[in-house]
Amino acid sequence: MIYVEILFIEFKGTACRYIPTGVLFDLLCAEPERPWNLTVHFRGYPGNLLIPCEGEDSVKWSFINSLKEAAYIINGNCKNVMNMSQSDQVDLWQSVMNGNLDAFLRVSSKLKLGKFEDEYSAKTLCSPRSRHGPGEADMGGQMKTGRIPVRLYVWSVNEDFDDFDDVPQLDSWDKISYINRPVEILREEGKYFSLHDAIRTLLPEYFVHQPVINDKTRIEGEEEQRVASEDAISNRSTEEGLETTEQSEPPATAISSNAELKIVRIQGIEPKLEIPFSWVVNNLMNPEHFLHICVCLKVP
Amino acid sequence: MSTESPNSVQKVVVHLRATGDAPILKQAKFKIAGTEKFAKVIDFLLRQLHRETLFVYVNSAFSPNPDELVIDLYNNFGFDGKLVVNYACSMAWG
Repeated sequence: MIYVEILFIEFKGTACRYIPTGVLFDLLCAEPERPWNLTVHFRGYPGNLLIPCEGEDSVKWSFINSLKEAAYIINGNCKNVMNMSQSDQVDLWQSVMNGNLDAFLRVSSKLKLGKFEDEYSAKTLCSPRSRHGPGEADMGGQMKTGRIPVRLYVWSVNEDFDDFDDVPQLDSWDKISYINRPVEILREEGKYFSLHDAIRTLLPEYFVHQPVINDKTRIEGEEEQRVASEDAISNRSTEEGLETTEQSEPPATAISSNAELKIVRIQGIEPKLEIPFSWVVNNLMNPEHFLHICVCLKVP
Repeated sequence: MSTESPNSVQKVVVHLRATGDAPILKQAKFKIAGTEKFAKVIDFLLRQLHRETLFVYVNSAFSPNPDELVIDLYNNFGFDGKLVVNYACSMAWG
């Protein structure tokens, strides 16, 4: 008899984190191999790396927790998720478990997380209205903060490659930057906001030299935020740091020049970067309302 | 972290609030580098409170993934110049 205490799964020496399975596959398998060879471990649990998973309940908890996080980004609060009835919560989880889209939509629509305006069907390409300010509602009144929850996994490589067979092996999670930054769809008359635009606004440090729509205003906005928060800190000069003795880094412009997007993978596919970002969000987001984007960057 | 960003110099003020019967810390506000992961805040609380387990939340709502960067949490969920982190000895918000 095998006594299964805690179980974890490994792929080529990398203990898998609790992120959606499909995302793990996109991230770890540059060359999508079939079948996916995984090693299941019953002992030697790397407790310093992973949170213990104690069965289905902890997976459900993790799902609901991410859903709350996404709702907070979209609406500025997550009351609708927290106030969900027990039966709705069970229905929602069952629909995710069973891959039942109709049931999922029926329950999740109650959460009022909305659908992001599809620029193609809404035909607002030439509309002079711009709505990237927080709290602005669109005609349907569904858009709240205009922020789209994104979990971005960035794997930076130094070697160039042209073939997926030559992609260097990812052997440590330290090589992945896990970034949670919401995207606001920025619009300019006559143009649409593409997946490429979204990735560049998510990773301004890598693409500073390339002109992007509204890129300048965005960087200025971040600068203001940074100054504001440092003011807040200097007002509390008596506070002790949490073991933070890091020295100021030089500006990132030196390392940030032209990084090259080698792979962008969402839900197992490599979408064209010109695709409108709103379409990507509406069609490729995960059931917890996060869009998971796996990016492989070649940095100089 | 393989990404060096301009944010690497930014510090975040974390406001630690006890919930339920969790002990209150003498000092509730701390600064932490934005490049740190949320796991560092959890470890800090565990050490301060001499506990093996704790339930740690942001904005009395959800428990972020320990891998999330403090700066991302601050930008997504912070207000009034700080990130509010609640901690409890038993589950407070399922």
